[in-house]
Amino acid sequence: MTADPAPVPPPADLPKNSFGATPDPWIAAARLDYGADRTLASAVRDQVVHVATAPERDRVEEKLLAALASPDARPAGRAFLCEMLALAGSARSVPALAALLRDPATSDAGRYALEAIPGPEATAALRDALAVLAGPARAGVVGSLAARGEEVRS
Amino acid sequence: MSAPLTRRAFLRRSSLAVVAPLIVPSRVLGQAAPSRRIAVGIVGCGNIADSHFEALLGRPDDVRIVAVCDVDRVRVEAALARVNRAYGDAGCRGHGDFRELNRRPDVDAVFICTPDHWHALVGIDAARQGKDIYVEKPLTLTIREGRALVEAVRKHGRVAQHGTQHRSMKRFRDAAEYVRSGGLGRLERIDCFIPPNNRHVGATWEPEPVPPGLDWDRWLGPAPWRPYSAFGCHYNFRFIADSAYGQVTNWGAHYLDIAQWALDRDASGPVAVEGRGQFPASGLFTTATRVDFTVHYAGGVPVTCRTRHEGGGTVRFVGERGWVDIARGRMSASDPRLLREMQAPGKAVSLPVSDDHHDNFFASMRSRQRPIADVELGHRTTTVCNLGQIAMVLGRRLQWDPAREEFVGDEMANRLRGRAMRAPWSLA
Repeated sequence: MTADPAPVPPPADLPKNSFGATPDPWIAAARLDYGADRTLASAVRDQVVHVATAPERDRVEEKLLAALASPDARPAGRAFLCEMLALAGSARSVPALAALLRDPATSDAGRYALEAIPGPEATAALRDALAVLAGPARAGVVGSLAARGEEVRS
Repeated sequence: MSAPLTRRAFLRRSSLAVVAPLIVPSRVLGQAAPSRRIAVGIVGCGNIADSHFEALLGRPDDVRIVAVCDVDRVRVEAALARVNRAYGDAGCRGHGDFRELNRRPDVDAVFICTPDHWHALVGIDAARQGKDIYVEKPLTLTIREGRALVEAVRKHGRVAQHGTQHRSMKRFRDAAEYVRSGGLGRLERIDCFIPPNNRHVGATWEPEPVPPGLDWDRWLGPAPWRPYSAFGCHYNFRFIADSAYGQVTNWGAHYLDIAQWALDRDASGPVAVEGRGQFPASGLFTTATRVDFTVHYAGGVPVTCRTRHEGGGTVRFVGERGWVDIARGRMSASDPRLLREMQAPGKAVSLPVSDDHHDNFFASMRSRQRPIADVELGHRTTTVCNLGQIAMVLGRRLQWDPAREEFVGDEMANRLRGRAMRAPWSLA
């Protein structure tokens, strides 16, 4: 019987681990910038569009909302997350989206999701925003309400 | 009985005919009036408008381009120079805002040659202003926009031609008649091939300064905001899903349109769709680099739409007697006799004849009849493109109710029938 050869030690200058930690794609999606690599955001998209059950959708929505609340969310990332909430969001997303809607700087992103989310909560959020928005942002809300089949008095 | 007063004679007698030619919209004076010349405005002066400029400027005196519009001042000026040089005067005027053009009382017809995300808004506004419209394909970006445009056209009694000019080409009419007449025996399937999508531009891109003369905010219009980049603007917009669905809504709109025609589904559509696309995980372009979807019709045959890297776009009808393959520039068949039969007159089914898409549009404007590629069938064809896109995005089989224009039992798919527009734009 032959003895196993003694293990060869690694060269002293080889890093123990040349790979970084795998980034959390949800956080990476929130930090997305225009023009940046969006591979991790695409991984998020894959998870969103492939939800098959109500619990899965709840989990995905929770992840999206957590990412949206990230303090270092970027405009491109926020727009992406709202695009995903337009697909998978429910009444649970409405408070966070309503806050975006009321800020002219983020109004389009919030409305992108709110217009698509069925139910009275999203309609109420849009109607409430009419009282605080003006100009183009308000016109956008009027259009979203009309798209949902709601009557709006100008 | 006096001779009809020609346009030229009218102008000679008119004290108003001084520097610029007087264009009186044909609807004002009626069809027997001296001005039966149709005044055209063109919105969007890029790549797709080129063929319209060339054809319209080469026409006899029955049509005149009186207005051009683009959010890129360089393009407006180039279009103006081209038109006025061709006519030898300064009668054409330029605009940066389509609403100005749509409100000109001397414009009869508006050609919509903008990026796809603008089609519905420009078209609906034009219809409300009493203009007839020629809308480049796809009719609109989304299904919801398409239905809104159809309703606006009907409500205001306008003529609207969809820019699927294959409907005015004999070979495609022959094919549709041949298939409907049972020339191939029992039809087994229809295969639409489209060229590859996107150029590869890398996983990242750099925002760039907006070039002088380009109103980038207006270019984006209802599309989500993003910074300008040269690759993300003229022409290449079609590979960015905020604006278009790549070759699905480019060449696919043409060939799927002929499939719909051959299946006699111009007022209806498929009942199911399934697809698997390959989408770039990163980079500026977001439409599928490999398209592969199939729509199914009630009691009918499957229609596929797939990317083909060699051979370009085409529509192939496969039946129990063989196949015929029809492209804009060539035809082939499993047996040459099938092509001869297909092109022969006297088939059991005869379809309306149009041999020129522009002629047909202008004749329809005068007769107030629906054109060969009426807005409704344009919407139905564009819907098929949208169904394929949505199925590829979601990666699952979807049931579609063509009467209600909604997916059955898939809320996420239904949400993808429309999208919110960037403020202040809306369909309202």
